[in-house]
Amino acid sequence: MSQIPDDIRYTKDHEWVRMDGDFIAVCGITDHAQEMLTDIVFVELPEAGIEFSRGERVATVESVKAVSNIYAPVSGKVIEVNTALENAPELVNSDPYGEGWIFKLEVKSALELESLLDAAAYAAHVEAE
Amino acid sequence: MNLTPLHEEHLKLNARMVDFAGWELPVMYTSILDEHAATRTKAGIFDVSHMGEILVRGRGAERLLRRLVPTSMDRVRPGRGMYTCLCNERGGVVDDIFIFMKGADDYYLVVNAATTGKDLAWIRAHNDTGALVEDVSSATAKIDIQGPRAREIVVRVLGDGGIAGLERFHFLDIPYGGGSMMVSQSGYTGEHGYELFPAAAHSVRLWCDLVEAGRDLGLKPAGLGARDTLRLEAAYSLYGHEISDDISPVEAGIGWFVNSADGYIGRDVLVGHKSGGAPRELICVELTGRGVPRDGCEVYAGDAKIGVMTSAGYSPTLKKGIGLVLARRGAAAPGSQLQVSIRGSLVDARAVQRPFYRYHA
Repeated sequence: MSQIPDDIRYTKDHEWVRMDGDFIAVCGITDHAQEMLTDIVFVELPEAGIEFSRGERVATVESVKAVSNIYAPVSGKVIEVNTALENAPELVNSDPYGEGWIFKLEVKSALELESLLDAAAYAAHVEAE
Repeated sequence: MNLTPLHEEHLKLNARMVDFAGWELPVMYTSILDEHAATRTKAGIFDVSHMGEILVRGRGAERLLRRLVPTSMDRVRPGRGMYTCLCNERGGVVDDIFIFMKGADDYYLVVNAATTGKDLAWIRAHNDTGALVEDVSSATAKIDIQGPRAREIVVRVLGDGGIAGLERFHFLDIPYGGGSMMVSQSGYTGEHGYELFPAAAHSVRLWCDLVEAGRDLGLKPAGLGARDTLRLEAAYSLYGHEISDDISPVEAGIGWFVNSADGYIGRDVLVGHKSGGAPRELICVELTGRGVPRDGCEVYAGDAKIGVMTSAGYSPTLKKGIGLVLARRGAAAPGSQLQVSIRGSLVDARAVQRPFYRYHA
């Protein structure tokens, strides 16, 4: 069973969001997502400064066999990307909720956060899939 | 969905199963990267029982094959196999095949799973010599064991009996399970290794014995995912990608086996291609920029599109993106700077010598 920490929020697309203060959303893919993808060999990162609406493609994670798009879980501007992933994409596999974070968004509307799933709802979603 | 005789073993190993040409097969057991590395450095074992086996025997068998393949049948002898293809009249490839010669007018063909029916129909349609053509695919399993420790593991299970001394593309029929089993020193990974053809009924025992015997030597079961990354690094053709009904073997860079003096199907086109008339050629391209190329990516030299990737992906050995490109002939010599279009962005690349990974004897 994959790990689903209680203190962060999720999307149905298997992304996670950890709020750092009121406006900074740290984003990555879930443990379940990295288990499904297996060996991640490349992460295409966005450029800092670009604004995305919720649901737009921000990044791409590629395993040997699969290509998986990462969508903006909330609307916002990219303020930082995890450049460590350029040389060590496998961090997404080994530490998806920690060193494997992918990008940080400056959130436009705190209201959008309410649409994200909590750990129990995400666990139910994974179970149902 | 077709299942191989080893299907239960894959489930026991928690393999991730996929549909491949109508067969449910393991794409990986634990990790494509680990299975790839095990095969390159120790050994990997693959269930490829989905592949087809066709006997062409009896009076007229050799004559029939002389008509069907562009490779001289004088090159194969009893106890030897050779790689070749069935060509159509346009020089395209009906299928790429291995022909093992058991004896005079006694041949054993190994063909692709998805094309077995098509191959049988093609062979039978051209059989005007009266040769016996028999599909033995469902009675035959196929287990490949590949890598630097493969020899040691196979000898542990089957005894030597000549196996250790087999030269590349030579084979033996050894007693096994009360019958006989073909053991060939060949494979599809770029590593030294063996292809074993047990009767379906004996394949589970053979698989389990090999897995057990290889455990302390680092042998890993490997799925179709690793099989594909291994063969891509070795630049081996995959039917439907580098070769097809519309791509000649000369264009695909395997024209070395076009050498028959017989009146085989497709000869005019292939001889023309060999003497410089092929419009396209297969080239090897590696990414110098960041990214993972995939099948179908377009390749550019400056503003000009020169071709399309027929197979591409991440090379676990080279740790970079690589691809085989069916390109306009002469458009890019090794060393040429190129660009590959990935999701609408152009990524720097260069043409390199074939193959990416040289056969490791």
